[in-house]
Amino acid sequence: MNTARWALVVMLASGLQSAASGETYTPGQKTSYDFGSFARPFLASHCLDCHGSEEPAGNLSLLDLGPVDEGNSGTWRRVWAQVTLKEMPPKDAEHPTVVHRLQFSDWIVSELKRVMRDKGGFRAHLDPNKGNFVDHDLLFGPLPDGIKLAPTASPARLWRVTPQEHITRLNELINSEPDFDPKKPGLRTHGDVVPTNHGGELKLYFGTDRIIKWQGGTVAYATAVKSVPAVLSSARNHGLENYPDFYTVNSAETTQIMGIAEDIIRYMAYGPLSIAKPYQITDDPKSIADKMKGDLRGLPTSIVYGTKVLRPLTPVYDLMKDEGVTDERLTAAVDYIFEAMTFRPPSKKETDAYLTIVKQSIETLGKENGAVLGLSSIFLDRDAVFRAELAGTGKPDRHGRVMLQDWELGLAVNHALRYIKPDDQLRNAIVAGRMRTKADVKREVERMLADDSVRKPRTLRFFRDYFDFDRGGYICKDSKALAQTGVNARGQSHYRAMFDATASTDRLIELILHEDKDVFKRLLTTGKVVTTEADKVYFGKRRSKKEVAASQAAAKKAAAEAAKKAAAELAAWLKANPGKKPSKAKNKKKRRANGNHNVTVAKLSGPKIFARVSRRSFGNGSMKPGRVLATVPEGQRLGILTHPSWLVSHSDAMDNHAIRRGHWIRERLLGGGIPDVPITVDAMLPDEPRTSLRERMRVTREAYCWTCHKKMDPLGLPFEMYNHAGLYRETELGQPVDTRGEIIDSGDPTLDGKVANAIELIQKLAESQLATQVFVRHAFRFWMGRNETLNDAPVLQDAYRAYTDSGGSMKAMLVSLLTSDAFLYRTSREPALSEAN
Amino acid sequence: MLNRREMMQGMAAGAGAALTAPLLPERLIASPAGNSTPKRIIFFLQNQGFDPKTCIPEGMTGSGSLAKAKLPEPISALEPYKERLHIINGLHGTHTSPTHSAFFGALGGYRGGDGVPPSASTIDYALSKALPQTLLPHLCIGMDSIENMTTKPTTATLSASGAGQPIFMHSNPNQLYQMLYGGISTGNIRRQFDARSNVLNQIEKLATAKGRSIPTTDQLRYGQFVQGFKDVNGLRDRLDTVADHLRNFAPTVDERYTNPKFETDWHDVLLDLGISALTSGITNTLTIGSGRGEIFGAWKGLGIEQQGHNLGHMKQPDNPIWVKIRQYNSRMLVRIIEAMESVPEGSGTMMDHTLIVYTSNNADKQHTNGANWPVMLLGNLDGTFKTGCFTQLDGKRPINSLYATLLQAAGQNCDRFNMSAKLAKQFDSSTGPLREVLA
Repeated sequence: MNTARWALVVMLASGLQSAASGETYTPGQKTSYDFGSFARPFLASHCLDCHGSEEPAGNLSLLDLGPVDEGNSGTWRRVWAQVTLKEMPPKDAEHPTVVHRLQFSDWIVSELKRVMRDKGGFRAHLDPNKGNFVDHDLLFGPLPDGIKLAPTASPARLWRVTPQEHITRLNELINSEPDFDPKKPGLRTHGDVVPTNHGGELKLYFGTDRIIKWQGGTVAYATAVKSVPAVLSSARNHGLENYPDFYTVNSAETTQIMGIAEDIIRYMAYGPLSIAKPYQITDDPKSIADKMKGDLRGLPTSIVYGTKVLRPLTPVYDLMKDEGVTDERLTAAVDYIFEAMTFRPPSKKETDAYLTIVKQSIETLGKENGAVLGLSSIFLDRDAVFRAELAGTGKPDRHGRVMLQDWELGLAVNHALRYIKPDDQLRNAIVAGRMRTKADVKREVERMLADDSVRKPRTLRFFRDYFDFDRGGYICKDSKALAQTGVNARGQSHYRAMFDATASTDRLIELILHEDKDVFKRLLTTGKVVTTEADKVYFGKRRSKKEVAASQAAAKKAAAEAAKKAAAELAAWLKANPGKKPSKAKNKKKRRANGNHNVTVAKLSGPKIFARVSRRSFGNGSMKPGRVLATVPEGQRLGILTHPSWLVSHSDAMDNHAIRRGHWIRERLLGGGIPDVPITVDAMLPDEPRTSLRERMRVTREAYCWTCHKKMDPLGLPFEMYNHAGLYRETELGQPVDTRGEIIDSGDPTLDGKVANAIELIQKLAESQLATQVFVRHAFRFWMGRNETLNDAPVLQDAYRAYTDSGGSMKAMLVSLLTSDAFLYRTSREPALSEAN
Repeated sequence: MLNRREMMQGMAAGAGAALTAPLLPERLIASPAGNSTPKRIIFFLQNQGFDPKTCIPEGMTGSGSLAKAKLPEPISALEPYKERLHIINGLHGTHTSPTHSAFFGALGGYRGGDGVPPSASTIDYALSKALPQTLLPHLCIGMDSIENMTTKPTTATLSASGAGQPIFMHSNPNQLYQMLYGGISTGNIRRQFDARSNVLNQIEKLATAKGRSIPTTDQLRYGQFVQGFKDVNGLRDRLDTVADHLRNFAPTVDERYTNPKFETDWHDVLLDLGISALTSGITNTLTIGSGRGEIFGAWKGLGIEQQGHNLGHMKQPDNPIWVKIRQYNSRMLVRIIEAMESVPEGSGTMMDHTLIVYTSNNADKQHTNGANWPVMLLGNLDGTFKTGCFTQLDGKRPINSLYATLLQAAGQNCDRFNMSAKLAKQFDSSTGPLREVLA
């Protein structure tokens, strides 16, 4: 750039500084810039040289780009992404100052929000997949002059209950879960989340703990038992699923909740009698043999329930078991259900409102139907499907922040770790007014974290959302492509193996969390694995064509020798026993030469361990909790990213999904942001069955694509050392598999460089400070329910320090996060701060 | 009612707010351009598979007219309506994993199985949103053994409004009657209706009251929650305003509702209710799950002793049990046709603007790989489909292609349904609608 132009730029830049603000930049503060005085000069200085009129770079001309409106909002959005991610201006060009870039980015967002307000709104910057748009170096490094942070908080909000939380709450009403057994810590325990069933469905089962006999097999059982699916749903399945503003509850869901509520109330009152005939409840199935004649498979009448009462007996039970209705019993039932569904006791107003509804229903329909209908309304209370963090009472400080108090604070702390209502100690603290300060929160959080009998399913949920290892069973596989991987492709076995693998991975994470040292690094590098029998294949090695042939030949030879030996033995026996016939046992010495020639199975042995699985949902085919804690084959695996649960979750019907894996690494370990796929792109790889994925991905190496794909592909391709069912392999389509990759532009120059395979990639990343900090960022998002802003830098730095100072303790990080201003404070009065956060 | 329909049709295309659930009739989507005469579709799925030998006339091996053919015994009831019938053989559903029922995959055109949640919306739901809107666009009814219908009056196995969002089938005719006609009912049903209405009104009030302290940013989301109750209560009010109209179509509640002798009593009155929802104009898509999408079910009222799984383990052709079941289905189809023909619409009758799609959720038999998935169409949906013929396809087009054709007939511009271009490379030899079945 010539001197004159340079001078002009400097003049403009400094002019802009004073035009913008001689004062400091505070993230989220409302500004009064407009296009003419602010944005146009920015474009002129930093963009138009290349994106002007003559052969604009990337075919994008910004010359005529005016103030933000609906027509050009798409272009402005792209500009926002490129500038915020520091992709533009390119490395070799003049850069705006840090503050200037932030101001420009903020300006675009506020303009997009204004312009789109009545057109659905603009919320892209609040999406978890754009959380990395906030500059990592500014969050964890020193801030340049001119930036002044404001004390942080989160916005007051209403947070819809997640499907898992909802089902677990409902489960508490009708099923007793076992107490924590320190001798068998892996078994399903009271307070754990309701696990998904054999097919990956989240379902509530009625009375299966009392079933002592049923007819028929797997599907007959599944059809005959009473179950209801989770009503609430999550639209997302990758990444963080549960920011408060994602969901509401619609009328179809509320109608279903009401229906389910009625079933639940009847079960609470009458147990299996509400779903079966009286004769089906007996400890002696033989005594009712006459009623169980014929083919009853699949019918609810095919089930026999034991007589022992196993479900919790509640005030609803008391209300319905005795004749008549008293105010006392009605109130007890209303209050019980209210607290079970909202986790707090009702106010007098609430009790009265629901009492009225129940009494009116009883008047119209009689006691039984009336009570059931009336009580079901409680399941639709606002606080039974949402959780409020409104901070309505309390004085705002001078920044407009109010600290959560009492029940809101207690429930927020409870929700951070658990799915069931606050335990007695927390409840007592709330009621006694000891849930009001940061110290109060610290006390309760530390207590709950230290106590293994206090189950903390939310932590496991974070790891599922962060790693996304729980998707494997939902990835539909082409049968032929699946069979070629070497696993059993018959029927549903693969999908069952995947759901088992999810439960196993949960358990492995729990073990690492229990030791609570170097948690992040261990997750990425552990050599331990929790396995089922099927995992011997999944953690095995897919043999090359040559090896398969050799194995088959060897088996054939062994079979021939065995047959020869058997024939010789038979001949000898016959000689010794003339005229006699050999017993069947002797004849049947032929052992079929089968076994999986395609795979060298892994030797997985070790101590027994349990994983948490659902109630029996599929007869004898139901998931089983027994597992083995084994060590992975040497040199082939390293940590969760090399487990089939993670690998298959990031694959598709036919093959690996290297781009998705690379995207994961870039986002969740390197803190990188990737702009959305341009709308003009038809993102498909060529269909060439006889070429490797790497070869087919050549289309992403075109110049136009590579700017984004270089951030992903070289990070995902090292995982080609596994096939798309997660088996280790050294050859692919008859050739040695190419597992090379590269870390490019991570932001940490010591990290960048080529890698030979996934193992080397993971080793580098597990050691890196950057990846650990990015991990902390994701934990922040999960527990705060929002993206971080620059104002959250102190919180993030504290959390990171707490983690590293304690030798990599997740518990220490959680204490730090849950006692941070971001967690404790809410804003609703200061719109500027609300918008920033 | 007609005012409402005209009003809704009159609203400009592009007003479109997304419809989230079938119980939100007043939420509009852009009306399909062009023809806005009411249209309706009925999906009738008989479980345990649809053996082609039970519908293809003997001797017919290739496509051709049915004019000179004699329909096989199981569907002989359709003989007088032959010229409206189109038998399609040779669609496939191998990708839906249909052995032991494809569950949601049958109407979804994706992989399904016991315990597998729906991975996307199903064709009936998609059509209910695409066809000219009605008060309660999508109604699903399920027919099963009496024990199952009693203990599980609603179940969701066939229809879905989205990924992980199953839609329940109604199997208790008393509850369904209450939902549709509670406002004009009497006696016990009326009492239950009044009690439930009262509770829902109170819930709406409580929900509204608790919305007063919500921050502005959350009001939209919370508002949708409250709106849900308003919709349910509003639907009731709207059905109330057309009470006189409904009285002409509402079936009479008799002993079969309250004291069924056989499950078929309930099957019959459920069908009555489904038909009445169509003839009264409150529904545009009716899904009937005979066997409720699974591998069980009973038809003792037809004199069939066996029930459940065993029914799927016997061959269907020339089997008196299956002849009875398929004949029973056919009689139901005839009842639907006759009911549609009895209501004048446009320049003809409702039947002119109706299509019945009869098939199974289990392809051609219980243990199947889905390579052949027979379908029968009845009616031409306003002249869109060829009728009076048999079409033999080559077995390389998936059921999704038929569904895409239906969506196109409903005015949607779509080449594929629930099948990505990538999957299509594996499972579809062509693209776009099934030209062979179009008029």
